[in-house]
Amino acid sequence: MIRLVLRRLLVAIPTLLVIITLSFFLLRAAPGGPFTEARRLPPQVLANVERMYHLNEPVWDQYGRYLTHILRGDFGPSYVYRSTTVNALIEQGLPVDLTIGGFALGLALLIGMPLGMLAALRQNHAWDYVSMAGAMAGISVPNFVVAPLLILLLAVKAHWLPAGSWSNGAPDHMVLPVVTLALPLIAYVARLMRGSMVEVLNSPFIRTARAKGLPERTVILRHALRPALMPLISFLGPAVVNTLTGSIVVEEIFGLPGIGRFFVDGALNRDYTLVMGVTILYAMLIIAFNLIADVLYGVLDPRVRQQ
Amino acid sequence: MLRGASRRRPIAERAGLSGRRPGPRCLLVVMAAVLLSACSSASGPVAGPLYRYVVSDRPAPAAMQVLRRRVAETPRTLDPSLATDTMSTDVIEDLFEGLVTLSAGGKLIPGVASSWSISPDGRTYVFHLRPSARWSNGKPVTAADFVYAWRREVNPNTAAQYAQSLARIVNAQAIIDGHKPPDTLGVTALSPHTFEVRLVHRTPYFLSMLFNTYYMPLYPPAIRRWGMAWTRPGHLVSDGAFYLASWVINGHLTLKKNPYFWDAAQVRLREEIYYPVPSASSALARYFAGDLDFVGTPAFPPSDVGWLRRELGNQVRVASMYGTAYLGMLIHKKPFDNRDLRLALTMALNRRVLDDKLMQGMDTPAHSLFPPLPGFVRRSPAWAHWPMAKRLAVARRLYHAAGYSRAHPLRVKLLYMIEGVHTRSYMEAVATMWHQALGADIILRQEQWKVMLQDIQYKNAKLYWDAWIGDYPSPYTFAHQFVKGFVMNYGDYDNPAYQAVVKAAVAEPNRARRYALYAKADAILNHDAPFIPLYFYNANELVKPYVAGYRPNVLNLHLARYMWIRQHSLRQP
Repeated sequence: MIRLVLRRLLVAIPTLLVIITLSFFLLRAAPGGPFTEARRLPPQVLANVERMYHLNEPVWDQYGRYLTHILRGDFGPSYVYRSTTVNALIEQGLPVDLTIGGFALGLALLIGMPLGMLAALRQNHAWDYVSMAGAMAGISVPNFVVAPLLILLLAVKAHWLPAGSWSNGAPDHMVLPVVTLALPLIAYVARLMRGSMVEVLNSPFIRTARAKGLPERTVILRHALRPALMPLISFLGPAVVNTLTGSIVVEEIFGLPGIGRFFVDGALNRDYTLVMGVTILYAMLIIAFNLIADVLYGVLDPRVRQQ
Repeated sequence: MLRGASRRRPIAERAGLSGRRPGPRCLLVVMAAVLLSACSSASGPVAGPLYRYVVSDRPAPAAMQVLRRRVAETPRTLDPSLATDTMSTDVIEDLFEGLVTLSAGGKLIPGVASSWSISPDGRTYVFHLRPSARWSNGKPVTAADFVYAWRREVNPNTAAQYAQSLARIVNAQAIIDGHKPPDTLGVTALSPHTFEVRLVHRTPYFLSMLFNTYYMPLYPPAIRRWGMAWTRPGHLVSDGAFYLASWVINGHLTLKKNPYFWDAAQVRLREEIYYPVPSASSALARYFAGDLDFVGTPAFPPSDVGWLRRELGNQVRVASMYGTAYLGMLIHKKPFDNRDLRLALTMALNRRVLDDKLMQGMDTPAHSLFPPLPGFVRRSPAWAHWPMAKRLAVARRLYHAAGYSRAHPLRVKLLYMIEGVHTRSYMEAVATMWHQALGADIILRQEQWKVMLQDIQYKNAKLYWDAWIGDYPSPYTFAHQFVKGFVMNYGDYDNPAYQAVVKAAVAEPNRARRYALYAKADAILNHDAPFIPLYFYNANELVKPYVAGYRPNVLNLHLARYMWIRQHSLRQP
């Protein structure tokens, strides 16, 4: 297990380097720069601005400087938010995404797992059809449809909940974004859970357990649940990352100060350092959560541990 | 030379949509519009029973004096020297006060300077600062704070994008260019409350620029102590009606009343909260949900004005703004080096139809450059008053004279930005009109904003969408766009007669005579047609009926020091 972790961490270094290098040069190859504005800057002013951010140096020097800075954990100053560093922006935005993402995932597990299990146990009965149809709808309806609908019904019409903004994480402001993010996740979790549960329930060792005369409760909770969780674990690793990076639309609609908006704004405004910072952060998150999923897999499944 | 333009808006925003980003947002606008109009039709054509308030003339209790307003995007900085976007300048205008400021109606009034005198040659200004002016920490605002701020603006190490705005001050250009040290700038603190400015030339509109952020004073100890982080809450010291209480980038920005402000007795708001809401549909939803009191322009796409008026009545505010949208052209390159062709194209556009059908009457058709300004009579070209049939006949004749016909049509690319749903339909309508009237083949090409800017600036674009929002209420801010050598004269217009008139106007101290000269400049532009005017901007905003002190003004600046909340309740439907 430790060897697995070490190997994966070692592989992560060149992976990150490739990502950094590619995005560094791709960004600079995009037409227009951070200081291309409707009002073109007079040459001397532009020179002053570029000198301040070392944009006047050869691109390889900039690249080398950037690498040494990120080794120290310094993502540099933002070019567009001119009084702020990228680190400060990420420190401010990441907790927002982690909070709503965390709650959404929690909600998904809390609702999706029992839903899927019940569907599997009542296979091909009304409950199964209803919950799976609901899950299908949850997966197919995109969040940019769900969110305005929720806003229209619960905020505009009923005045129960605010239509947006973060308000330092006030619970009533969190409800709609969390629900929006959670709905498709609940659906995914429920479907995955149902599928794997059905498979496990049909496997020989469950038949054995039942043949031994164990009560159904014990069969499900002690014997079926653990193997049935395996696909869910491998889903959760990328799902955490997807929830964090995919919350851009939700952030946009509800006006949340997460990092997703920095990513989009940064790319469109050619805020090189901001985009790089968020890209590297996303890359590290993807690597980390995939690793965590693999480790958990090993913990739950002795077969993986032995390999 | 005038180079200042803190209020130059990003093109996408000027297109009427706040969004600068493509993708999901365009969808959202449509989506929510559909959803919301569904809700509006449910409540019938009677003027908005759901959103009618009972409002009294008395102010609401102090605890309720909180104004929640939307900014189209998160302000990029609160450093007055570095601000370039309107979102930042809107907030900074509430935080800081310059030598002069604006009244609720947008008139220039004394700010930190209670009075001033101008030397007979118009080149030396002496400002007398009010002794009662205070920073938000209680320290007095002094002439030295202005000296510090203005030197910082032109200092190359500050790398201020609008440093050039101060170029009319003695030595400013040399300092920006790195030839002289910042302390040689032509500004002096004659005494703690007397501030002198020396200009290179007479500049009649100098005073009218001084409300801009780059002319505001700064509190030097805060900047020395905190460096780049001086604009964070707790560090930022301001001299305006409000101080910064909290700022979550992309989240919210809370200003609280500055008890030390010299005119604090007149400020009724306790708190002002800015929410950056990029998408117009989200802003609408939050306005309807009662989370926002004031949604600044552009509050909604023109296509929504009908049902919004039905639903909200006079909460929908449309006011003229100091801006013009036009199509720019490279006039020294084929095919637009031909004046006949340029005139044919501009004449063949039926702006009345474009305005009525596409903009829902939300903008004003433009046939010339200078937007309406009190006291200024603009010169529309003679053809603007002809019946459309005659205009088309003349346009066709000019088109043929330029060597084009249905058999040999003009083929040219028209460049505009991806951002903004209605810009696209507007451009499609323009292309169709030209095709129908003249047979011209217009290839529409959309680009992302930054890409398009680069294409315009590197002169890869021959015909492109462009616009200008005035920085200060003087026709010069527009006239300047077409002066030879100005960085933004992207079309390379170059007419000595025009430049002579503009130069004479700049030096003319008498307003009536100055405006007459600008009218002459307008006429020269109409004759040369170096661009195709489309429309004058109108601001569209949503203001709850209980918000007092909101007054439409030409610069579209709404300072919170004049606003307050009336006692109100939502009438039960």
